[in-house]
Amino acid sequence: MEEKSVKYRATVLEIGPLVTEFIEAGILVFFGESAPQELKEFSIIHDGKELKADIVPGDTIIIDEEPYKILAVGEVANTNFGNLGHLVMKFNGADTPEMPGDVCVESKPVHQVKVGTVFEIVSE
Amino acid sequence: MSEYKKLVIKAGPGGWGGPINVEPKPGRDLIASVTGGGIHPLATKIAELTGGKAVDGFRGGAPFDQIACVVIDCGGTARIGVYPMKKVPTVDIYPTKPAGPLFRFITPEYFVSGVRVDDLPEA
Repeated sequence: MEEKSVKYRATVLEIGPLVTEFIEAGILVFFGESAPQELKEFSIIHDGKELKADIVPGDTIIIDEEPYKILAVGEVANTNFGNLGHLVMKFNGADTPEMPGDVCVESKPVHQVKVGTVFEIVSE
Repeated sequence: MSEYKKLVIKAGPGGWGGPINVEPKPGRDLIASVTGGGIHPLATKIAELTGGKAVDGFRGGAPFDQIACVVIDCGGTARIGVYPMKKVPTVDIYPTKPAGPLFRFITPEYFVSGVRVDDLPEA
């Protein structure tokens, strides 16, 4: 099935100096461009604007063409993402969110994100 | 001009941490709302009760060293830690508990959660 619908698409603009600490914990933290400086320190800043439909389990996050299946979506994750471009992605293979802001994906090595990396959220 | 007043904020139902002290001072009187969709009503109310100034942290103009208190709508991982790490009194509107890579910085002295407007004491 190639009938994929893209819910969100963004390009990475900036990577904070503390992002590696979160990567070591299996977490990527994203924020939109409006994030205050102190949040940029540990965030991946991107140019994404519009979340076309809520993220749901079964969607896929594709980072530089590497797909990660979404297994769980916390209750405030869509609000955060839609309003602030803020996404907390945990590579933990969990099918229930540990925290209300979490988006859990399959347990795979954390993708090496760089400035210019494109990520998309697609539904099947 | 309003005078600054100290406010003690306790955790709301199911919340964690606190009580924290919010004490705006000249040069450090911002109540920063680092939340989606503008200034959160809780930040407005804290500003009203303390004489501080509510600002939208996503519209800039809220440097760390000028913040008396920050209001967040953090789902538990990132913002929950960064402000307590810098010793800024932090109020999460969601009833979160310390977690995430910044876990060790989240202490009851600087963090309180699950707080609603009605949980604030009247001055």
